[in-house]
Amino acid sequence: MPNPLVLTKLHIPEVRRGLVPRPRLVDGPARTSPLRLTLVSAPPGFGKTTLLASWAEAARAAGRAVAWVSLEETEQQPASFWRYVVTALDGAAPGVGAGALALLGSANPPVEAVLTLLLNDLSARPEGLDLVLDDYHLADGSAIADDVAFLLLHLPPHVHLVISTRADPALPLARLRARGELVEVRAAGLRFTVEEVAAYLNGVAGLNLTTSDIAALEGRTEGWIAALQLAALSLTGREDVAGFIEGFAGDDRYLVDYLVEEVIGRQPPEVRRFLLETSILERLSGPLCDAVTEQDDGRAMLERLDRSNLFVVPLDGTRHWYRYHHLFAEVLRTHLVTEAAGRVSDLHRRAARWYAVDAEPVPAVRHALAAGDLELAADVMERSAIGLLRQRQEATVRGWVDDLPAEVVRRRPVLAVGFIGSLMSTGDFRTVPGRLDELEHVLAEPPADLVVLEEHELARLPGAMETYRAALALVGGDAAGTVAHADLAISRAAPGDDLTVAAAAALSGLASWAGGELESAHRAYSLAVTGLERAGNISDVLGCSITLGDLRVTQGRLSDAERTYREALRLASVHEVDGPLRGEADMLVGLSQIALERNDIAAATAHLEQVAALGEGLGLPQHPYRWRVARARLLETEGDLSGAATLLEEAERVYVGDFSPDVCPVAARRARVLVRQGRLDEALDWARARQLTADDDLAYVREFEHLTLARILLCQKGADGAARAAAYGLLDRVRVAAEEGGRTGTLIEILALQALALHASPRRSDPQRALDTLTLALRLAEREGYARVFVGEGPPMADLLGALVRRDPGWRYPRRLLDAFAGVSPAAPRHGLVDPLSARELDVLRLLASDLSGPAIASELYVSLNTMRTHTKNVYAKLGVNERRAAVTKARELGLL
Amino acid sequence: MNTAAPDPDGSGWYEIRLQGRLDPRWEATFEGMTLTTGHGITRLVGPVVDQAALHGLLLRLRDIGLPLVSVCQVETAAEPCPPHHPDTTPRGA
Repeated sequence: MPNPLVLTKLHIPEVRRGLVPRPRLVDGPARTSPLRLTLVSAPPGFGKTTLLASWAEAARAAGRAVAWVSLEETEQQPASFWRYVVTALDGAAPGVGAGALALLGSANPPVEAVLTLLLNDLSARPEGLDLVLDDYHLADGSAIADDVAFLLLHLPPHVHLVISTRADPALPLARLRARGELVEVRAAGLRFTVEEVAAYLNGVAGLNLTTSDIAALEGRTEGWIAALQLAALSLTGREDVAGFIEGFAGDDRYLVDYLVEEVIGRQPPEVRRFLLETSILERLSGPLCDAVTEQDDGRAMLERLDRSNLFVVPLDGTRHWYRYHHLFAEVLRTHLVTEAAGRVSDLHRRAARWYAVDAEPVPAVRHALAAGDLELAADVMERSAIGLLRQRQEATVRGWVDDLPAEVVRRRPVLAVGFIGSLMSTGDFRTVPGRLDELEHVLAEPPADLVVLEEHELARLPGAMETYRAALALVGGDAAGTVAHADLAISRAAPGDDLTVAAAAALSGLASWAGGELESAHRAYSLAVTGLERAGNISDVLGCSITLGDLRVTQGRLSDAERTYREALRLASVHEVDGPLRGEADMLVGLSQIALERNDIAAATAHLEQVAALGEGLGLPQHPYRWRVARARLLETEGDLSGAATLLEEAERVYVGDFSPDVCPVAARRARVLVRQGRLDEALDWARARQLTADDDLAYVREFEHLTLARILLCQKGADGAARAAAYGLLDRVRVAAEEGGRTGTLIEILALQALALHASPRRSDPQRALDTLTLALRLAEREGYARVFVGEGPPMADLLGALVRRDPGWRYPRRLLDAFAGVSPAAPRHGLVDPLSARELDVLRLLASDLSGPAIASELYVSLNTMRTHTKNVYAKLGVNERRAAVTKARELGLL
Repeated sequence: MNTAAPDPDGSGWYEIRLQGRLDPRWEATFEGMTLTTGHGITRLVGPVVDQAALHGLLLRLRDIGLPLVSVCQVETAAEPCPPHHPDTTPRGA
C-alpha cells in the first residue's frame, strides 16, 4: 500500500561550498574509527547537521552507504519513525528493508518483528552502512527509545548509527561508553576555535578583520557558529566595523536577537516582510510562500535568500523545498508576533488552505489549528480521514481526535466515523460505543447545523457503523454479536460500497473461524473476496485467500485449497503492473504446504525457492512467519531438526496474526520438534506454560495445542498407564470434536496418532484395532493424496503400514505410502552429533570455554540472559552433558573447539 | 530553594533564569509568563499548570539556545529565588 512519505526527510544535505575546513572534527576519531554509536549532542546552532553532512560525504567517498533521516515531531509515533528509518536504509542498501517494510504495512505493526527482519537483512549484507538520524531529540521519547536501543545493541559490526540531538537520548550511553563503543562530539568540541573563527570571518566571509576584532567576536560568541554567521552577515558591507564589534561585544543581549535584528534591519522592506510572514512555515517552497504572502515572487525570493546565505537550508537536490535555520525562524516569529500579531492567524489560514489543496492534510491541519480555525481544520480532517485510514495512517487520524472539541465533531457525522475508525484500528476502544450511540442519535434527528462535505459519504455511514459494532463485538469475544452486526452492516451498506461489505464479511468470517465454524467462515470470506475484487483491492483478496486456503486444509480439502491459491495467483497475474503483487509470495507458500502434505518434497522446495526469489517485500504481513514455518517443516523432512527449531524460533519473533485467530501457534510447532529431538522435559515445560492439561474443556482455537500435548504424553518414556490413558482420553475427545466440526484434515492426524498409540500398546487386542483405525485414516486421506501426516511419523508407522499391506494386499494407497519411506533418508549427522549445533550455539560453546560468566557471555553476544540460557541448554542437550565443564571437554573430544 | 508547598502535579508559580538578556518581544511566545531582564540574566516568572507544561516550556527554552541557570518553584512573582551568583556559574557548556 503506498504510504506518502515526505521524501525531503530522507535527503542527505549537500555540503555547502565555502565551509571552514575542520579536520579535527571531520577527519577526527569520530570519522576515522567510527564505533557502534556516534553521538553529536549540542544546543541549536552549533553546526551539528553540517558536521553530519561532511561525514556522510566522506563516508560515501570511502565506499560506505549512508541512510539519512531528518526527523520531525511526527516521528514520535513509532510507525512513522520506523517507516522513515527502514525506508532510508532500504534506499541506501536496496532490499535491506523489504521484509520490514512489508510488516510496517500492517495495522499496529509489531516493532520487535520489524527489527528482527531488518537486523537479519543488515547482517546478510556485508558492506559498510551508516544510519544517520538528524534532530533525534524531536522523535525521542518512551514510544521509540527501547526499540532504538534494541536496534543499536544488535547492529552488526559493519553498520553504525550516527545521531545528532539537542538533548542526550534515552539510550544506554553509559554501557556503550564503558564498552568503548561510543564516540561523542559535544558543544565544547563543536565551538569554533580562534583559528577557525579567523578562517571563517576572514577566509570564507572575506571580512579582513584584525586579530583583536576576531578575538572580540570569538569571546562574545564563544565560538557559536550560528552567532558568527549572523555577525558575518551584519558586518558584510558595513563601513564602521570596529564600531559594530565594540557595540556588539559590550552588549549582554541574547546574541541571536541582537544579530537577527541587525540583519533583518538591513534588508529591503520586501525581504523583511517576506522573512517575517513566511517564518510560520516549517518548510518553504515558492508556491507555498506565494500563497502565504499573497505575492508571486516566492521562488525568486528563496533563491535570493539562498544566494546571500540568509539562513535558508535547501531540503532537496533541486532547491524546491527549503527551511529556515531553526534559531533564525524562532527569532523571526517573535518579530512577527510583536509587529503583526493580528495577521498571524491569517498567515496560518492561508498556509492551511494551500496544503489542503495540495492534498497534504497533516500540515494543513497543523496550520489550521495554529490559526485557531477549528472548522477549517475539521474540513481538512473530514476530507482526508477515510483515505488516511485506507493507507493505514490511522495514527495520524488518531492524533487529530484530541485536537477538536466534541461539539465540532458532533455536527460532522462523516468525520465522527473517521475518528471512530482511527480509534478502532489503534486499539483504543473505550469511547467507541458512546461515540457510535451519539452518532446514531445525530443521524436519526439531524441538527440544523449538520455539516457533510460530500453528500454521498452520508450513505456509507449506516453500513460502516454496524461494521464497527461487529468489530467491537469481536474484540469483546462475542461471536454471535459479531455475526449479527456484520449481517446488519451488509444489509445496510450503500449500493456499490463493496469495501464495507467486504470488511463486515471478513469480521463475520473471523468470528466463525475462531469458533470452529469453518464452513460459515469460508462462506463469509468468499463474500469478502468478491467485494474486495470488485473494489480492486487485489492484495487484500490474496490476504483473504490465505485464510480460505487454511480453512480448506483444516477441512481436509487439499485440492480445494490448492485451487484457491492458484485462482488467487491467476487473478494477481491479471492485475500485475510492474512485477508481482504483494501477496503472491504468500500463495506460493500455501502451495508449498500442500505439496508437502502430499510428500512431494521437490515441488514443496521449488515453491519455496520461488518465494525466496520474490523476496520478503512481496509478502503480506503474515508472510515472514509463514514462510519460516513452511521452510522449517521442509527441514524437518530432511532430518535437520535443530535447523527447523531455529527457524521456528525466528518465526515466533516475527509472528503477525493480522487479526486471525492463532489456530496453529508456532510455539506448539516448536514443541513438536522438541518431541522429535527427544527433549520431552522442555516440551512439557511448554505445555505447563500454556496451562494445557488432558482434561481441559475443548475449544477449536486450542485444538492444535491439545494434539501437541497428546503427542508429548504418548512419547514419555516409561510413562505410567495414567499418562497414556490421559492421552488416549484427550485424543478420543478431540476426535469427536473434529469430526463434528468437519475438520477432516485434523481428524486424519488424530486417527494416525491413535493407530500408533494402539500399535505401541502391550494389550493383545490392540494390534487389530490399530490397523482398523489406520484404515479409517487412510480412507479419509486417500482421495486428497495425503502422505506426510503418515510418513512423518517414522518407523512405527512404516511397521503399521506394512501390516496393513499384508492384511489388504490389493489396496495400493498404503503400499505407495510405504514406498515413500524408502525415499527419505535423514541428513548425515555432522561432528558425530545426531543433532548438530547451530552457528549461534557454537558461539555460545566457544565462550563457555572461556572464563566469562553467564551474564558476561550474554552481553558479549548481545542477547538476553534468558536467550543465552536457552542456547546453553541446547548445547548441553546436544552434547549429552549437564554442566559447563563437561560440555567443554565433550566439545574438545568432538573437535568442535 | 523550594519555598512553596509541593503540589502533586507540580502546578504553581515557577521562576526560570537564563544566562543572557532576551528581548521583551519574547514574552508573547511564553504565554502567561512575565519576562524581566537585568545583570545579563533573563528571568521568566509565571504560573505553570503541571509538570508536563513545565517540561514543554524548558524544551522551548532549549530550542532558543540560551544557557539555563536555574528553575525553581516560588510563592508568587513577588518572591524571587535566592539571588543568583554569576561567579559560580561555569562558562557555557
